[in-house]
Amino acid sequence: MPSELEGAMESLIKVFHRYASKDGRGTLNRRELRELMENELSNFLKSQKDPAAVDKIMKDLDTNGDGQVDFEEFVSLVVGLSIACEQCYQMHMKKMAKK
Amino acid sequence: MEAAIKTLVTTFISTSKGKENLNKKEFQKLVSNQLGSIMEDTDSASAVEELKRGLDDNNDGKVSFAEYLTLIGYVATSLSQSKSGSSADAS
Repeated sequence: MPSELEGAMESLIKVFHRYASKDGRGTLNRRELRELMENELSNFLKSQKDPAAVDKIMKDLDTNGDGQVDFEEFVSLVVGLSIACEQCYQMHMKKMAKK
Repeated sequence: MEAAIKTLVTTFISTSKGKENLNKKEFQKLVSNQLGSIMEDTDSASAVEELKRGLDDNNDGKVSFAEYLTLIGYVATSLSQSKSGSSADAS
């Protein structure tokens, strides 16, 4: 029986491969990345509507410069979002403490 | 996917009880409770201590949120590779 954390990793892997396999390659091209952001991150991110922002995110993630985002590069996006989420939580707790 | 990210964050926060770092005991608890199905030796205190030392970039003896995410990224990447290697259309 997988734990909650293991289930979360499993679902991140599934989401990545669902979009990455659309064009037959196991990596995300720009279009697949945008679709993933649009469908899976619509509450966390608003930048998927802005083509320039998608380009920038794509470029930032694609550290080996092959024009594709592989799973390891996708992990950076997850890490970035998790850090933002954690900072948001800490700010929220500080606000609550002041009250 | 957003729910999965939330789980990554809340798992850390609930184990650290809101603190910024996990101490040795909390880290061992997290690994044995949450990663027992996909990692080996999670019940071995010395193996977990070894793992913690590997993650502890700033050598403060504790595991920060960023260091924890390094572990998650590493585990998820190897899990993803083993999946796409053996059973690409399993799901």
